[in-house]
Amino acid sequence: MVELLLQFRGKIATAKLLILREQSQKELINILKNIRGKKCLVIDPKLGDSLSLIIQTSLLKEHGVELRHLSADHIQTDCTKVVYLVQSQPNLMRHICSNIHHDESKGLQREYHVYFVPRRTVVCEKVLEEEKLHNMVTIGEYPLYIVPMDEDVLSFELDLAYKECQVDGDTSSLWHIAKAIHKLEFSFGVIPNLRAKGKASVRVADILNRMQAEEPVNSSDMVMPEINTLILLDREVDMVTPLCSQLTYEGLLDEFLNIKNGSVELDASIMGLQQEGKKTKVPLNSTDKLFKEIRDLNFEVVVQILRQKATSMKQDYTEMTTTSQSVSELKDFVKKLNSLPEITRHINLAQHLTTFTSKPSFLGQLDMEHTIVESQSYDICFDYIEELIHKQEPLTTVLRLLILFSVTNSGLPKKHFDYLRRELLHSYGFEHITTLNNLEKAGLFKKQESRSNWLTIKRALQLVVEDTDTANPNDISYVFSGYAPFSIRLIQHAIRSGWRPVEEILKLLPGPHLETKRGAFSNSPSFDSLSGVSTGIAKVPDGRRALVLVVFVGGVTFAEISALRFLCSQEGMAYDLIIATTKIVNGQTLVETFMEKLGG
Amino acid sequence: MANVSVAAEWQLLYNRYYRKPELYPMRWKHVDLARHKVAAAPFGGPVAVIRDDSKIVQLHAESALRKLRLFNSAGHPLADAVWRHPGGRLIGMSWTDDLTLVCVVQDGTIYRYDLHAQLVEPNISMGKECFEQNVADCVFWGNGVVCITEQNQLFCIPDFRNPKPVPLADPMIEEPPRCIAVIEPQYTMSGNVEVLLGVADDPVVLVVEEDGVQRLGEGLLRGPLQKMVVSRDGKWLASFTHDGRLLVTTSDLTGIIIERECESSLPPEQIAWCGMDAVLLYWDDMLLMMGPDGDPVHYFYDEPIILIPECDGVRILSNTSMEFLQRVPDSTVSIFTIGSTSPAALLYDALDHFDRRSAKADENLRLIKPSLPEAVEACVDASGHEFDVSRQRTLLRAASYGQAFCSNFQRDRIQEMCKILRVLNAVRSPEIGIPLSIQQYKLLSPSVLIGRLINAHRHLLALRISEYLGMNQEVVIMHWACSKITASLSIPDATLLDILLDKLKLCKGISYAAVAAHADKNGRRKLAAMLVDHEPRSSKQVPLLLSIGEEDTALMKATESGDIDLVYLVLFHIWQKRQSLEFFGTIQARPLARDLFITYARCYKHEYLKDFFLSTGQLQDVAFLLWKESWEFVKNPMASKGSPLHGPRIKLIEKAQSLFAETKEHVFESKAAEEHAKLLRIQHELEVTTKQAIFVDSSISDTIRTCIVLGNHRAAMRVKTEFKVSEKRWYWLKVFALATIKDWVALEKFSKEKRPPIGYRPFVEACIEADEKAEAIKYIPKLADPRERAESYARIGLVKEAADAASQAKDGELLGRLKLTFAQNAAASSIFDTLRDRLSFPGAS
Repeated sequence: MVELLLQFRGKIATAKLLILREQSQKELINILKNIRGKKCLVIDPKLGDSLSLIIQTSLLKEHGVELRHLSADHIQTDCTKVVYLVQSQPNLMRHICSNIHHDESKGLQREYHVYFVPRRTVVCEKVLEEEKLHNMVTIGEYPLYIVPMDEDVLSFELDLAYKECQVDGDTSSLWHIAKAIHKLEFSFGVIPNLRAKGKASVRVADILNRMQAEEPVNSSDMVMPEINTLILLDREVDMVTPLCSQLTYEGLLDEFLNIKNGSVELDASIMGLQQEGKKTKVPLNSTDKLFKEIRDLNFEVVVQILRQKATSMKQDYTEMTTTSQSVSELKDFVKKLNSLPEITRHINLAQHLTTFTSKPSFLGQLDMEHTIVESQSYDICFDYIEELIHKQEPLTTVLRLLILFSVTNSGLPKKHFDYLRRELLHSYGFEHITTLNNLEKAGLFKKQESRSNWLTIKRALQLVVEDTDTANPNDISYVFSGYAPFSIRLIQHAIRSGWRPVEEILKLLPGPHLETKRGAFSNSPSFDSLSGVSTGIAKVPDGRRALVLVVFVGGVTFAEISALRFLCSQEGMAYDLIIATTKIVNGQTLVETFMEKLGG
Repeated sequence: MANVSVAAEWQLLYNRYYRKPELYPMRWKHVDLARHKVAAAPFGGPVAVIRDDSKIVQLHAESALRKLRLFNSAGHPLADAVWRHPGGRLIGMSWTDDLTLVCVVQDGTIYRYDLHAQLVEPNISMGKECFEQNVADCVFWGNGVVCITEQNQLFCIPDFRNPKPVPLADPMIEEPPRCIAVIEPQYTMSGNVEVLLGVADDPVVLVVEEDGVQRLGEGLLRGPLQKMVVSRDGKWLASFTHDGRLLVTTSDLTGIIIERECESSLPPEQIAWCGMDAVLLYWDDMLLMMGPDGDPVHYFYDEPIILIPECDGVRILSNTSMEFLQRVPDSTVSIFTIGSTSPAALLYDALDHFDRRSAKADENLRLIKPSLPEAVEACVDASGHEFDVSRQRTLLRAASYGQAFCSNFQRDRIQEMCKILRVLNAVRSPEIGIPLSIQQYKLLSPSVLIGRLINAHRHLLALRISEYLGMNQEVVIMHWACSKITASLSIPDATLLDILLDKLKLCKGISYAAVAAHADKNGRRKLAAMLVDHEPRSSKQVPLLLSIGEEDTALMKATESGDIDLVYLVLFHIWQKRQSLEFFGTIQARPLARDLFITYARCYKHEYLKDFFLSTGQLQDVAFLLWKESWEFVKNPMASKGSPLHGPRIKLIEKAQSLFAETKEHVFESKAAEEHAKLLRIQHELEVTTKQAIFVDSSISDTIRTCIVLGNHRAAMRVKTEFKVSEKRWYWLKVFALATIKDWVALEKFSKEKRPPIGYRPFVEACIEADEKAEAIKYIPKLADPRERAESYARIGLVKEAADAASQAKDGELLGRLKLTFAQNAAASSIFDTLRDRLSFPGAS
């Protein structure tokens, strides 16, 4: 019965998230409807990717839209109305300007609309103004702050948030996050409990409270808000986890095949399709039941499960051909057959993954990651990284380990720091001085100034767990085969008993932490943290589980999401979790945001 | 019976009763309507009075100056102003929907006044033609006016909110029309105003629109019309014919509804609709009310009157009183008609008995038991239509008395009515002087009523009413605050601020910024700054701070808000306004603004950014910019490789290097820039000597590899020594370069040159990667670590050798891993199993 209720609860939450998607879809269609007649919709490619999660191209076409991607090249269309839908980034304005100037030079008279996502900004308008196009375009806004990635994952699609905050000091993403949460509160009610760790997170909390003061969500008519707690965590607090290679199925898929907006693109031949040399897109989300079942498991286990499924299918099939079956047995078999395409799909994918996971270089890297996380053999790690540089291995691979190394040691001794920097410049070119500069500014690869407290943290939070049973895990450490993701360990504490018990640890980590009550609850006398099922605060009156919204400021990996889902499924867990992030990242994509060539 | 006196005041017209209660005795003194032009606004609005300059009047003890005087409906003075406008005679004046008084003078100028007799700038002109031809007459409606010139041309302003005169089609008439009426735009087919002209000696009505003139009523009319008036809904036209008949037709003159003889063939001075079912005609001392049938009702006046049409009747203004002529509502009729036995009348009677403790009360109730709810409803309804407070009270008491015996009556109905009546009675008080009937009130809507009260500066009452009705008080408080500021020139800022804040805090979410903007407009910048500080919404606060010149505060507030867009707004504002150095100083003190400026300038204002860094002494940042610029040479298509452009590029890098060298902290960068410049020189030389443009912009390691691949070992060596490349790196580079060109002989020779400083692993790896097993086997045995040996053997598929090496290493885990690698190969897998079994005995550790 409880199970049933929980499922029911989950459905309601996801239904609400789906409403978000519908809302965004409706808003976009309204924008298009308001511009009469045929029009050419020009989308910046990055935004186009996110939009594919909101609306289908076919639906756009129904509204008389010709679709184009924004680039510096001029647009070829017969439409007299051009609608630009772009993120509010100044560099995109340049493209629009060159487009319009081209039309002008050709004597084409068109009606231009620029819709900014999520809102118009002074900087973008300034660019238009400087190009003297300000009066030629009609400006609008498409307030898309959140893109639902899956039924429990939201993304703000801020790829560069972490780098911009840490390196450029540009904190626009924090406002965006706060605005997005504030918008959520308009449909879910004011979230009464807030916990934040890290400079950026505390700032988001601050801006959020400001927004609540300026434009209050009316919470008087809501008896119990659906989201009980908001947990904000800076990526900066835990840079170890994203740099480790993920070992869950979905994590590995992302590491090697790069999951983009819930799908991967690979050669058709890998998926057993006949089209030679063609690419095919494989969707990966929870509508695929088998994927939902195995995405969060350790890859080792996934291989076994897939093998079992295939074998039992084969068995059923042979039984079916040899003996006579009753109708109901036939029915069962046909039902199973329906899942055959899914099984085949994942067997193909898993097989493809093993070609990567069995490579000695990958195993070596895993080994080294564990050695660094263990933090016991400095010299071995140093030599290994030095050798990678000398062998001119791909720079991202090198930097990934190097940052992991630097972070766990809270920097490298000056001699080593300078030496490795010099070797990097010599091996990869002097243009990478900017990358190094960025990493130093962000504190990811820097000179050692104080002793590292990684060992203390690791021990206190039991991050390295011996004898992890990946098949029947009892701890989140299964996702990295023995390393419990630090970030999730913190969240585990935050959910269970608030920050207080881990206060000492938090003090060792960068940035302040915060724990407050908000809205109508800020005056409530029981300032106690939510203490689970026993007290029953967690329950919304009708017995559903309340929600906790976990926001990662600076990105989250699939492995961490899996670990959270694992926590969610544990007995005694009083909450359902929704995860929001600036972007879903992995070690590689995260490092890439910091890479910037001088000449680039 | 008590009811008798009430009905005695009614007049019967056809089958309906009419009543004409006095709303107010007029409080004004010495106002003779006969000598004045008068404009009275509907919905109990104000009355404007000015001496009529088209009549010759005797001046008693008054000034020769003409004065425009404004009164409320009770004749209570509101304001006055001396009329000194040029432009000739005042042709007409009227109140618009938002209670602006519009006055049209002869030359087509329109002067506008607010309720406080303040001239609203700018004046509107009806256009050149009106100016030249002179306006002869004009007709107003809710928000517009039509003027006819002395040459019978028509011009209209369709909407005073957007006062642009529009010429109408030429009616082509010689003589001025006998009468004019308009059908409001909202009731016409075209959505534009239609003007009806009754023309002399022509039995038609001309309908003039923007794009044409139509003749209506041909064959229907027997002669020209003398007077016309259109009903409120634009559907009916009441007119007075040449031969003294009242004619009611449809407004398109296609059908006659009523045709009645009047007692006079002289046209009436005024004609007006009373509601929708009677027409009033006024001659000198007689007011005639005509219904669809039956005898007309006569009223006699010994003083001049003005008819003010309302939606449910007509107000009659005379020198001494304000009356309201209305059809008696059905509920009232059912209660008060003489001899009425309707349930409502009996209920009303029952209350009377009850009050007198008579048992008849019960008898009455029993009699009407089944229809008690209707009776209660009728009493409630009738109370709403009463102007007399005591009668309202009695009716409500009757209702409430009846309600006690009736189970299924909507209980809040009485309460609701009480609420409405309290509001109505409050605004009907002579000081306020807005005699709204309940029907007018519902049509006008409470929010418009509040708007009118605010305009009349009745803020307290407006606030009380909006509070009482549960409406948003923001409008009231906001208007009050702005009026207060305008009116309080002599109050010092701090005092005024306290007064304002005291009231503003009543309303949550009110825009302090808007009040501050008003203060600023009134020249009170300091007060504005103080007010804007209380604005919680940064998005409103910051722009205002900028507009009042408080840039530094604006920057601080924007930064606090976390809204980057606001920070940019301030940033650009200051940037534009201030000298560079001052600007740099401002932002240098504010890290967020500084960082944002740098981010923006990095993309768009490179040179300017350099100035900034120089001014703040951040030489290393200038150096980075220069270094970055050095690549621009490469991107520039004109800068082909090996061209003399190399010179300037290297110079830039060297300049960067010297800037880095200025600070101790940037020794590393300085050294790197120096090496970069050196590398470019060497690469340039190499390109010249090899005549191949493949060196520039590759890394040092790549340059060495390229040299080796080209067989130029001396050059490779030179690069190595120039840049002090370590032996370790050198070995990796050279081994891989040799493997790339498959020069296995050279590789072997290299391996034997001396004992490699990092062992033989590079050799093994290079061979395995090149898939040269035979070559690999040469070096594997030389690997020092048995584990490495085992793995290397395994990688080239030599199971036995791998197993041997692994067992030498005594590493069970390694054996297991190797076994997995060979999982497909059954034979190989068994080798590992036996080996591991053997291992598990001695190697228990």
